[in-house]
Amino acid sequence: MSFLHKLGLVGVRTFSRTAPANRHPLHGNGVHGAGPGITPVNSPRSAERQEITRTSRGLKEFLWNLDGLGRGALLDLGPVWQTTLSFFIERGFRVTAEDLFCAWKDFCREEEKHLQMASGGALDTTEDRTPEGRAARFLEGNLCYPAASFDAVLMWDLLDYLEPSLARRIVSVVSGAVRPGGVVFAMFHSRKPECFHRYRVADSMTLQMLPAAEIVPVQHVYQNREIQDLFGQYRSMKSLVSRDQLREVLFIK
Amino acid sequence: MWRKEESKTQAVPEISTKAVNSTITPPAPAAPLHEKPTPPFAARTEARISQGIKIRGEITGSDDLFVDGEVEGKLALDSASVTIGPNGRVKADVVAREVIVRGCVEGKVNAHERVQVWGTGQVHGEIQTLTLVIEEGAVLRGKVEAGKPAEKGGNAFAAAPAVAEETSSSANVPAIPAVN
Repeated sequence: MSFLHKLGLVGVRTFSRTAPANRHPLHGNGVHGAGPGITPVNSPRSAERQEITRTSRGLKEFLWNLDGLGRGALLDLGPVWQTTLSFFIERGFRVTAEDLFCAWKDFCREEEKHLQMASGGALDTTEDRTPEGRAARFLEGNLCYPAASFDAVLMWDLLDYLEPSLARRIVSVVSGAVRPGGVVFAMFHSRKPECFHRYRVADSMTLQMLPAAEIVPVQHVYQNREIQDLFGQYRSMKSLVSRDQLREVLFIK
Repeated sequence: MWRKEESKTQAVPEISTKAVNSTITPPAPAAPLHEKPTPPFAARTEARISQGIKIRGEITGSDDLFVDGEVEGKLALDSASVTIGPNGRVKADVVAREVIVRGCVEGKVNAHERVQVWGTGQVHGEIQTLTLVIEEGAVLRGKVEAGKPAEKGGNAFAAAPAVAEETSSSANVPAIPAVN
């Protein structure tokens, strides 16, 4: 079994582009099928993909915490979307976007190549291949920001899809990059999601969920206590659970 | 007869241009002699690296540049616009006033004003700019920084309103349309 198989990056279920919105498990729970299909950045054009809009109290609270900030700095750990960028730039933010899903997938591919070369005797095999070692190596080239350089972070549901050891490290790195008083917006699935989504901001209280081909499979479904432990160094935490089993959580440092 | 008609057709655009200029733009103040007037955008000269041409090294200058060939090295045109055409392949750090990507760029893109990535465009590397415009289908792999630099040192949340209801006004802000 290859390294990518172990991480679940090979043969993962891909989203059926023809799945209608009304078959979606989230439909009818504050989540609405909407408008014409929108193709996310980094994917070929397709008129068949449908985004789902979602009223987000978490986003509303997140923005409330940023109100009056003036020119702030935002870190978006999802893909680059014109709507999200424009939304925050028009409100005076400098937006930094780093798609950690894609970065992690690329990293795993490289690791796989290294492993293959190592098994052929062409490389040093003393490198730490444990999840902790991998996480450390991944963060050597990603999320490299000066301390306290962001006022806000959009983490989306990233942590559910990463190895727990990497998730812990990412929370730690992000915490270092957030200024005291800064806000982190994260989402956690209460049960294993049936479809992989990317998120973007439509307006100040609406998110668009765009079904996408699964980049990484779900690694862990966090319980409330685990989330609290993960973000233990934050001053406050506000959890908003919706009927679609997606928990929106705000952390204030 | 023949000559009269010819002179009429030639005169039409001249007259209409004058009329447009007189109604839309106010009379420009006389520029001081020591100041060189900046040419309008359309009049700017544009250098061109056509398809099939490969350049390796550093390109600098002040004129706009259109790259439809291959460039490897560095593109530094601080005050100009760089367009990577649909066939363009750039493996270089690009520094310019404006960068338009319709082809493929591998490297850091730093535009003082704006970066536009068309649906056919691909950027593998970092983007740093004031305004970023992304079209559907564009491929971006790497870190993106857009917007004005954040204020440093201040207490970010000192001015946050105390009453939650106040923020509901921000909900009235119209949604920003998606790029098609």
